[in-house]
Amino acid sequence: YLKDASKKTKSGLMFVKLVNPCSGEGAIYLFNMCLHQLFEIKVFKEKHHSWFINQSVQSGGLLHFATPMDPLFLLLHYLILANKQGKFQPLDQVVVDDAFPNCVLLLKLPELEKVLHHVTEEKEIGNKKYYKYSKEKTLKWLEKKVKQTVAALKTSNVTVSARVQSSAFFSGNQVLSDKEEDYIRYAHGLISDYIPKELSDDLSKYLKLPEPSAPLPNPPSKKLKLSDEPVEAKEDYTKFNTKDFKTEKKTSKMTAAQKALAKVDKSGMKSIDAFFGAKNSKKIGNLQNSKK
Amino acid sequence: MECRGEAVVEKERIHLRPVTLCDAAPATLHLLPCEVLVNGPAPVGRFFTPAVRQGPDGLQVSFRGRSLRGEEAAVPPGFTGYVMVTEDRGERLKGKQDFSGSSESDGERDEQELVEAPESLEREFDRFIGATGSFSSFTLWGLETAPGPDAKVHGALAWPSLAEAIHAQVPED
Amino acid sequence: MDFSELEKDNTGRCRLSSPVPAVCRKESCVLGVDEAGRGPVLGPMVYAICYCPLSRLADLEAMKVADSKTMSESDRDKLFAKMEENGDFVGWALDVLSPNLISTSMLGRVKYNLNALSHDTAAGLIQYALDQGVRVTQVFVDTVGLPETYQERLQQRFPGIDVTVKAKADALYPVVSAASICAKVARDQAVKNWQFVEDLQDLDADYGSGYPNDPKTKAWLKKHVEPVFGFPQFVRFSWSTAQTILEKEAADVLWEDSPAQDLEGPERITAYFNKGSRARPRAPHRYFQERGLEPATALE
Repeated sequence: YLKDASKKTKSGLMFVKLVNPCSGEGAIYLFNMCLHQLFEIKVFKEKHHSWFINQSVQSGGLLHFATPMDPLFLLLHYLILANKQGKFQPLDQVVVDDAFPNCVLLLKLPELEKVLHHVTEEKEIGNKKYYKYSKEKTLKWLEKKVKQTVAALKTSNVTVSARVQSSAFFSGNQVLSDKEEDYIRYAHGLISDYIPKELSDDLSKYLKLPEPSAPLPNPPSKKLKLSDEPVEAKEDYTKFNTKDFKTEKKTSKMTAAQKALAKVDKSGMKSIDAFFGAKNSKKIGNLQNSKK
Repeated sequence: MECRGEAVVEKERIHLRPVTLCDAAPATLHLLPCEVLVNGPAPVGRFFTPAVRQGPDGLQVSFRGRSLRGEEAAVPPGFTGYVMVTEDRGERLKGKQDFSGSSESDGERDEQELVEAPESLEREFDRFIGATGSFSSFTLWGLETAPGPDAKVHGALAWPSLAEAIHAQVPED
Repeated sequence: MDFSELEKDNTGRCRLSSPVPAVCRKESCVLGVDEAGRGPVLGPMVYAICYCPLSRLADLEAMKVADSKTMSESDRDKLFAKMEENGDFVGWALDVLSPNLISTSMLGRVKYNLNALSHDTAAGLIQYALDQGVRVTQVFVDTVGLPETYQERLQQRFPGIDVTVKAKADALYPVVSAASICAKVARDQAVKNWQFVEDLQDLDADYGSGYPNDPKTKAWLKKHVEPVFGFPQFVRFSWSTAQTILEKEAADVLWEDSPAQDLEGPERITAYFNKGSRARPRAPHRYFQERGLEPATALE
């Protein structure tokens, strides 16, 4: 029974590198070809973590999250590029990428066709469909995305007001309830992580978001627990960062013991990551059921 | 720089061996508040686990002479945690043999029927990854104080629920 | 001495005491404080107090109590037994500070050094005697660090008591000698019956005196070093002897408060940010930054 299930999902799940529509660089995505699902992979990375996994240690303490992703975000990148030619094109001419050839896998997601109309004008000639990027439609679609994100933010405990709040802010009376505009701006920011910069700017205008008065302070420093962290610890932390940002690849100095372990490591496990796979992808669910 | 190498890497697909997902045995995980600069076997069960105590303010243990406070962190509902191991290229052959239980060509034919792909999804230069363990929670340790709700990890664990909203299909007009 | 409490859990501290002799609640008492096992890299440190009425001090002296260091182990055991026999006027109490407690205190974010730990433990034991109703009027303490500042501190904390802190007080005052015997007997017994928290295979019990300069102790440490965990909790990680061995024989471990120069080895985060600062037009939204999340670029 079990084998049967595994056979069905055979080759179904694969990690590939595709262009991240926000950065334009490669990022890892997961395809479930059997269920025609796309997952984005985010990794939790914080300094000074390691895993103990059963009877082993894994440096880095990475935690990967595979969450279902709307493939339109990835497609938009190609539609916008293709639009520079200004004509209707079949999708398989749009989604081509020398750097990330695996992008063709996107075309194998059947529901894509059903949702393409959110971001394109389409024409059908003969039996073939031709598409052209539509900014107007896309902005409308993104506005809906922002709306549903705002709704989710409201039910979660995410602090969305423009200032980066430290815990000290919560104690005073100046705690303002988050305003609608803050929610929209925040949701816009989140969505912007999935679209190119120009589109993000257009969306901002479309949503009539006023320019923020001051640029947001960039990486918010780690939340300090004021009660138990001495001042020195805080200083140390910043020192760490600055040093780290500058340091180029370092050669690791290994002790004899480490070398011994490294050897074991190579023959055994190459790398272990704790990783979250979505159970709500049906196939995996099935597998688990079949196990019972 | 890295770019030249990447041209190769980015063609590659890393196939997740599905059978390993259902075979993955429950694993015990601890996320430590320090970087141990080594990977490999470690006698966690002999040195660490027996030293864990349930104190008045949560779990306690020490590692390398430093005091740790811990709390349980749950994998978000609807999700399962997997410990993944990428296989060395050299290991691939072995991996394939392990896999021979389900006929390979069958699987590929299925795929082709489903997606009408001209080429098979697995190629010579692809790599494989498999799950070696599964988990629904892990112990999160903080240095001297429990990580508490402000810990970044807790924030990260809330991501899937927000992701669901961002990536849900929008309503039709 | 009943060490069952300690044997159940030796990761923290443990207090043992005799019943309080009735006479000590009625008459003015003299109390001595001393410690055993301060220097060793292995095992617990024991702090002890011993007290008796001023009127019975001569009887205590008659037991021929002396500095525990000048006695053989069996003599100490005999003397302690004698003190127990005279439980109608001699009382004692002690704190066993586990090596784990010592390590975690000394290696804390806020360093809690051994002197401060010692002073606080001594003061805690005096307070314990007072809380039990012992009418303490005089206290003699074998010093740790400078006697003057130590005495001043104790005097401030116990204004109604006449406090004397002196070097070699264990040889000068019988009540301190008695405390030193309690402490030493307890430390020896605790070490002998040490229940290792860890599940250790082929454990070698021959660790010598436990002092860092003892070649046997050093050899034992080197034999029992574990590349990931370092040592069993029986070892005081905060001792430089232990640290030196770890640096050579065990994996490096970085904490968020580790000194910056210790930063060595592969740092993926660095690699990411180096790349990021060059090529990345936009940083991830603060939602992700605040949660340590970023798009995965490799399955590491």
